[in-house]
Amino acid sequence: MQVRVNNLTFAYTQKLILNDVSFNLESGEFLTLVGKNGTGKSTLIKCLLKILKVPDGTVFFDNVDINAIKLFKNVGYVPQKVEFSYEFPITVSEILTSAYLKVKDEYFNKVINSLGINPFYRDNINNLSGGQFQKVMIARALLNHPQLLILDEPTVGIDNESMLALYEVLEKLKEKKVTIIISTHDTDFSKDLSDYYLELNEVGVFRIYK
Amino acid sequence: MILTAPSFIESLINFEPLRYALIAGICIGFIAPLTGSVVIIRRLSFIADTLSHFSLAGVTVGIFLSKLLSHVININPIYMGVLFSIGGTFIIELLRGFYKNYKELSMTILLSMGVALSGLFIALTPGISTSYTTGLLFGSIMSVDKNDVLVTLITSALILIFTAIFYKQIVSLCFDETHARISGINVRLLQLAITVILAVVISVFLELVGVLLISALLIVPVSASILIGNSFRQTITTAIVFSEISIITGFYISFKLVLPIGSTVALLNILILAGVMLFVRIRKRYVKKSET
Repeated sequence: MQVRVNNLTFAYTQKLILNDVSFNLESGEFLTLVGKNGTGKSTLIKCLLKILKVPDGTVFFDNVDINAIKLFKNVGYVPQKVEFSYEFPITVSEILTSAYLKVKDEYFNKVINSLGINPFYRDNINNLSGGQFQKVMIARALLNHPQLLILDEPTVGIDNESMLALYEVLEKLKEKKVTIIISTHDTDFSKDLSDYYLELNEVGVFRIYK
Repeated sequence: MILTAPSFIESLINFEPLRYALIAGICIGFIAPLTGSVVIIRRLSFIADTLSHFSLAGVTVGIFLSKLLSHVININPIYMGVLFSIGGTFIIELLRGFYKNYKELSMTILLSMGVALSGLFIALTPGISTSYTTGLLFGSIMSVDKNDVLVTLITSALILIFTAIFYKQIVSLCFDETHARISGINVRLLQLAITVILAVVISVFLELVGVLLISALLIVPVSASILIGNSFRQTITTAIVFSEISIITGFYISFKLVLPIGSTVALLNILILAGVMLFVRIRKRYVKKSET
């Protein structure tokens, strides 16, 4: 999926977070968002996904203005923090099957296997470790057959083995021309996959480099 | 010759109103916790209570109009209740826009308006009996007729079909609205459908269980099952089992001891909840002990 961001500006009341951000990504390109905490990486992601309303600037997915898109198609999102209703019991299998509107098929099993979810597939989400939970979130995003995959700090709290599994999944998706945007502090993780880096700083200024 | 009182089963076979009441009760026992689960997860518990009070206003307006216009048109007060209940959801949304930090005020305002309108129209309606108004508050399930049972059965069937078709979307929306939206689910439409269903359930069940006990049937069985459930499906199933146990036992007890059915069922639900809470507490203590 092609992504075009033109002159995106965003401020929370008085504080300018994103200042005139523009970039283009072709299908299959990989962008890593870098910057310290609070510099607007998550805000940029939320603007792209219409979680936050874009006051200034435009965002196009495959040449369609996102404001004209009523329902997203083939967009996967791994949030930094999920506001789950934890008190109401739910299992991993229920989260994943509900995210897959089709009947379970080979693709579904492939996603589950590729991330090693089987051992805790029937568990209640409250009994998962941080890394296991993150894997479930990544699997949920992949089940949407994404052409654009956006991951907000996906490596936080996961072990080396899980990190490797995630790397391999992203590598395969890139080969399949899936556009990937990842926000991370761990630039080592994505250095071999990244086509571009977009660096944000505290005063809303950005810098893009290869 | 010795005359003996008929047994519960004999009465069920021979006494039509009891049969109708039990069929309606079993439907409620199934649908109320199903709807109640979504109400709890979406944090709409207070909305359910508000809508039941506003729906009561609709019913009383319906009774008033049906008496006033009896020679022109035949108005079923329950349909007016449905209309008010659905209208109430939109009024809540409208009122919420006026407050930034005290959005729950919108519900209190609507609840007060519902109670006030109900009082007003009950007073304005000539010849309305006290037993009828008491029935609206605490339920009058024994007064249901064939038509009421049919409406309850159709409503229950439609809700079951809707749940079966959109089960995955509902689960997705319940647990992560943002993800549901990004994955292409029409969240606004689904939310609207859920609210309308809630409004219809409240209005249809209003006559059967009464405005004051609706929340008990929607919320209490689910409150008990979430304490012991492990999965979404298991939690809802357990809530339905609790609900049906309380309804069937409640019918039996109220038949034997000549007690009001609605109140007996609601209190049995509370009793089950207390039992589950006690079980959870004991289990926790036992696990702690065995760990040390």
